[in-house]
Amino acid sequence: MNHSRTYWLTWLALLGLTLVMILIGSAPLPKSAMLVLILCGMTVKAGLISANFMHLRFERLSLVATVVASTVFVVVFLYFLIAIDGQWVQLSTVR
Amino acid sequence: MSHSTTTTWDGGGLPFGVSWQKLMMWLFIVGDAILFASFLAGYGFLRLANPNWPDSGQIFHMSLIGTMTFVLISSSATMAAAVGASRAGQREKATRLVWLTALGGAIFLGMQAYEWSTFIHAGARLSTNPWGVPLFSSCFFVITGFHGTHVASGVLILALTAWRNSTGKASAEGVELAGLYWHFVDLVWVFIFTFFYLV
Repeated sequence: MNHSRTYWLTWLALLGLTLVMILIGSAPLPKSAMLVLILCGMTVKAGLISANFMHLRFERLSLVATVVASTVFVVVFLYFLIAIDGQWVQLSTVR
Repeated sequence: MSHSTTTTWDGGGLPFGVSWQKLMMWLFIVGDAILFASFLAGYGFLRLANPNWPDSGQIFHMSLIGTMTFVLISSSATMAAAVGASRAGQREKATRLVWLTALGGAIFLGMQAYEWSTFIHAGARLSTNPWGVPLFSSCFFVITGFHGTHVASGVLILALTAWRNSTGKASAEGVELAGLYWHFVDLVWVFIFTFFYLV
């Protein structure tokens, strides 16, 4: 069982994505388009690391579901419950 | 497979298909991930709530941050290779690769120390900074500080793993568990890099 090819390909993909994300960050793009592209790049990077480096793609579904579903649930929950509320605070204090 | 008469979910087998050590490492990682998710959610709230949040592009040196990211990703790759070598029974190769990974972590820490000292010399403190909103530097020091602490403990764990592996004490799974933690530290950096430095 030799996955070393996968590891080096993953490494190259991660470096390439990082470079592209930095370039997008300094490119003259509309803020919303930049945000979408960068967040897509981030998600792909996170997926590559957890699937290939952390071997999640070789684990049983029960473990993958436990680990991924619970983390994603909390992240989405925190985002909609806390982070996004900042906008409303700003709107109500600026006036 | 199982010698027990009970079914898997009654405790007769391995419901998750991994040893309890690996399961515990995964559960620890989930808990730790939620810690960082909370930090980033709090940071997102503060940033959205402050209309004059400093422009990160003006303050951070992307060449330094890019190099730090490059080093951390590369150390994750050498760790993955170390786990592969360890599984294949190539103990010496695995030891070398784990040492290399620890070296990468140490270089990352050195660059972060440089970044922090530059910040502190510019007048940034936990409660104040020269760029405006005081909470900007609070978030910076707390979030990168917590991540840096994880890198530091990771380097320690890797050094111990490499040493134990060279003396034949560490099992292939021991190397794998250290690897899981190290990849997690890399994974967290992906999010910090995106939300703190890029966006």
